[in-house]
Amino acid sequence: MRLPAGPYLLLLPAVIALAGVSLYPLFYGVRASLTRYLYGRDYGYTGLDNYRHAFADPFFREALWTTAKFVVCTVTIETLLGLGLAVLVSREIRFSGPIRVGFILPMTIAPVVVGVMWRLIYDSGVGVTDPLFQFLGLSAPEMLSHNGTAFIAVVFVDVWEWTPLIFLILLAGLQSLPQEPLEAALVDGAGRVRLFIDHTLPLLMPVLLVAIVLRTIDSIGTFDQVYVLTKGGPGTATRLISLHAYNTAFLFTQYGEAAAMLIALLAGVMVLMVFAVRMMRRVAR
Amino acid sequence: MTARLPRIGLYAGIAIILVIVIFPFWWMVDTSLKHPVDIFGGVTLYPHNPTGDNYSRLFNTYHFGSYMVNSVVVVTISVIVSLTLGTLAAYSLARFRLGLGLNQSALVAALLVRMIPGILLVIPLYITLAEWQLLNTRLGLILIYSGLNTSFVIWMMQSFIAEIPRDIEEAAMVDGDSRLSALWRIVIPLAAPGLAATAIFSVITTYNDFLIALSLTSTPKAQTVPVGVSTLIGKIQIEFGPMAAAGVIGALPIIVFALLVQRHFVRGLTLGAVK
Repeated sequence: MRLPAGPYLLLLPAVIALAGVSLYPLFYGVRASLTRYLYGRDYGYTGLDNYRHAFADPFFREALWTTAKFVVCTVTIETLLGLGLAVLVSREIRFSGPIRVGFILPMTIAPVVVGVMWRLIYDSGVGVTDPLFQFLGLSAPEMLSHNGTAFIAVVFVDVWEWTPLIFLILLAGLQSLPQEPLEAALVDGAGRVRLFIDHTLPLLMPVLLVAIVLRTIDSIGTFDQVYVLTKGGPGTATRLISLHAYNTAFLFTQYGEAAAMLIALLAGVMVLMVFAVRMMRRVAR
Repeated sequence: MTARLPRIGLYAGIAIILVIVIFPFWWMVDTSLKHPVDIFGGVTLYPHNPTGDNYSRLFNTYHFGSYMVNSVVVVTISVIVSLTLGTLAAYSLARFRLGLGLNQSALVAALLVRMIPGILLVIPLYITLAEWQLLNTRLGLILIYSGLNTSFVIWMMQSFIAEIPRDIEEAAMVDGDSRLSALWRIVIPLAAPGLAATAIFSVITTYNDFLIALSLTSTPKAQTVPVGVSTLIGKIQIEFGPMAAAGVIGALPIIVFALLVQRHFVRGLTLGAVK
């Protein structure tokens, strides 16, 4: 016996669950962004005031700028490093199994724990970086106490944790490339570098783009490690948009304004998402 | 140019990278086993007078027992719920041609849910849970994690089920099984490796989550391990020993899990971009 509604019934509970944690919060978020909150209480519709406040807020604009810098720095460095590592390890070398396992360790553990690890390394009292610099005859950098070094410290941690992801995606990409064109080019006398730039890289491009888009989207939302390492400080040096929105909502109970910031950000992320899905579809084909 | 020299350079480079990768782990373990005096006594690469004090203080003074119970309860229930909902949906998507292009768009939608930055969801969820009196409860966290994980389960299980030939379950249905009993008796056992990998990946992401748990819970009654770890920071003085111990406890089960399902873990992280 065939039940035409059956397949839809199987799908329904999951759809409800998904909508509950995505569509519903999004609609609610849009509504909250148009609502005035005072001490966390709802005081009704307020039009676009929250958006106006958010964009007039120098801290918000600064957080956007900090996030942009953070995303560009982390994604660029991670892509270059990840590509380099993938090329290194994709060749047949000894111990490649254990080496790969070692490389992916950082991205498996909780970002909070990653933050704790690096806090223990950067700290001026108990850490390793200051003694290391002094050992090399340099002055102690006190990584988390100065604006510039704190930003570098946060970027470095992100690179440490997420280069493995790009490495893995590209490694899989490299290993699934067709070998014949590469071998033909090698026979024609192409050098290794030429071969890589002229042949390997264009073939790898779709996978590379997927890796970059995925990482960019995740990087925009970075929160955990930075919260543990610096809480956005010193001053506002590492206050990413996620931390700023978190503070606005949960320290200052300005839900409306925080929601407005995030909806505006989401509009930007959406563009990236559409881009990402298109990318993946094309790659899947 | 001999081939030997670059070879040595290659291994040296890999060795340096591995040291950079492993050292933070070791330093945390090292710190967690030191007395406070030794922690502040300069860099020593292993604990000279190892102690378990930091670990026992974690449980006696810092509520780590309840954080762990909360994490286990929340992770277990939400993963079971999402596996059930997600597998049913994945089966429907893998086996039927649905109207309105639903097969394709449901997968894309599941993907999009996974990509929304957590901070975007947290404020509306906070307000909603507050209205339902579910703030600072394990039930609140379970509901949210169940939904979020479902997206990922659909994505993974759809591809696993699609790889199983239809003939076997159709034969079972000819023999009188209903759809659901064929799913339960034939498809689920065949998809068991994929199901296990999906479960472990969901366990890892749920256990590791910080932002949602941080925003929606406020006392050890419902706080999870990552939130517990963060409570050791940000007081006037950081308790480095217990903090390191907490980090070790937070990381250890996940490293074991991740190593068990390396390949599938990657597949999950990359959302099927790489098979």
